[in-house]
Amino acid sequence: MTTDPNIPDPDGFYAALVAAHEGLTEAQSAELNARLVFLLANQVGEQAVLLDCVAAARKPFAPAG
Amino acid sequence: MAEQPAWTGGYELPVYPFVPPPELADGRRRRYGIVIVGGGLSGLTLACDLANRGVESVLLDEDDTIGVRGASSRGICYAQKTLEVFAHLGTYPRIRAKGITWSEGKTLAGGDVVYSFNLQSASTSEQPPFINLQQFYIEWFLVDRILALGRCDLRWKNRVIRVTQTSECVMVGVETPAGGYTLESEWLIDATGVNSPIRQGFGLEARTSRIVDRWCITDVRFKEHFPTERWTWVEAPFNENRGVWQHLMGDDVWRLDYQMAPDCDPEYVSRREVAEERLRAHLGDIEFDLVWVGPYSYRDHLLDDFRLGRVFFIGDAAHVVSPFGARGGNSGIQDAYNLGWKLALVTKRHAPLPLLDTYNAERQPAARQNLEVTSRTSRFLAPQSPAERTLRAAAIGLAREYPFARALVNTGRMSVGNPYPDSPAVSGAGWTLQNVAITLPDGARSTLVALAQAVGTAFIGILYAPTSGHDIAGFAQLEATGLPFRFFVCGPGGIGDPEGKLKAVLEAAPDTFALVRPDLYLAALVPNASPAQAEACLRKALCL
Repeated sequence: MTTDPNIPDPDGFYAALVAAHEGLTEAQSAELNARLVFLLANQVGEQAVLLDCVAAARKPFAPAG
Repeated sequence: MAEQPAWTGGYELPVYPFVPPPELADGRRRRYGIVIVGGGLSGLTLACDLANRGVESVLLDEDDTIGVRGASSRGICYAQKTLEVFAHLGTYPRIRAKGITWSEGKTLAGGDVVYSFNLQSASTSEQPPFINLQQFYIEWFLVDRILALGRCDLRWKNRVIRVTQTSECVMVGVETPAGGYTLESEWLIDATGVNSPIRQGFGLEARTSRIVDRWCITDVRFKEHFPTERWTWVEAPFNENRGVWQHLMGDDVWRLDYQMAPDCDPEYVSRREVAEERLRAHLGDIEFDLVWVGPYSYRDHLLDDFRLGRVFFIGDAAHVVSPFGARGGNSGIQDAYNLGWKLALVTKRHAPLPLLDTYNAERQPAARQNLEVTSRTSRFLAPQSPAERTLRAAAIGLAREYPFARALVNTGRMSVGNPYPDSPAVSGAGWTLQNVAITLPDGARSTLVALAQAVGTAFIGILYAPTSGHDIAGFAQLEATGLPFRFFVCGPGGIGDPEGKLKAVLEAAPDTFALVRPDLYLAALVPNASPAQAEACLRKALCL
């Protein structure tokens, strides 16, 4: 899992993400995020990296299961 | 697990006679080599496989017919490895004739097809990817085959009430309409199914978990003809956006399976008028005859060890998984096919006792894999939280548009011949070989399964396309060791690979030695092998 900076234009990406959520209900936003996760996962294409990312995303919360 | 079938739908099933066993005539206790308890898919497959290998057994069944107390059909889908097993046992031609061969499937959500598949294109076997047929026909054909082969003492209306064992043998208490008796057996196979009284009698923990998902089967005959494809709705608008399965079985009967609300009343949803209304919502105003309606929930369990001393657990007695992907009945049949040849070799003293340990070493991990695969499907089909529903909606939405996301939509990963992990008997191989076409040394067309049948319960060694100078005679001399082994060259003067399929399934380069087990799993694959290496592989595969 890459944790060093790798997004070419972080502010631009963040702005695009915020814009994509504009005008959506909470449920629609949740679905947009889920769609985005799947689309990005397919770009990564490495199972170990994907599982590391899932674990890192879960980190602030109580352990799963 | 069906609860009470509402009615039985006009199938006429055979009834087998109760014949008082010899123990009741003379009161003498007898000891047998192999006793199988339970005449369902796995028990009958094992009895048939043993008979086909010339090994005697006794089969005790508490009922006097096939099917599950009446005509309820449970398993309906038989996958390629299973069909290859039945090709070996001799029941395949009847299954092919009676069943529905299919390879195409469609997955739907809302009114749309999300994606479709055709599994025939990737198949090299003589058997198709799937045949659908009511389970009781599979059992019926096995009984007929067993009766034709002989060597199996089929005892109907013989209910096992007590099992104990010593290091020497297993003692089995049996109840019949004509009285009770006790028999002894060197080996006992528990094929009594999900609620195995034998397993419970030994106090074995099956690690059961119940799943809240509920379904209702509706088997039905139509006048109209639909395409013979497997259609699976993840979200069917005509079923309150829950799942619906639709596929064809024998006798022009369709299996329609509707996902119900988890808190539904099973009695209500299986009422005839309720089932008919559900069907009209699905298919409009068409003519149909209801054959059978059965609500069910399911659970799973997995024994830690499929063997306890002289007792082996096969099929549902050992493992139960959720029904998606046809991994229940198919894996029970594969359990039997894994154990049969091992029992045959050990009881004929052609292999030592440790070979029997490989049954658990191979089939327990296979069951664990099936449990994991089917649990994931079950979870996809019955989301447990709003977040899971969101993830599923996203996956389905993407799948309509992008091929990559279709792999996320999980309506069942169909049963396969599970690969086996490395064990004392298998290393670096352990996958099943599809039943590919070959030619025999005399040029006649044949198949791998036919070759296995022809050599009896023996390993098949194949030296693939040997280049000049290879010590072919050295390999052939392994047949003289007395080990259960037959040797073939694949190339001029030997067996032929006219379509290149054998090369493909063996992943073999020239001069590779492949050691094929009697269950058509690959025990070893050695590039540039010498006869000494081949012998070492054979001894290892036999646990010598």
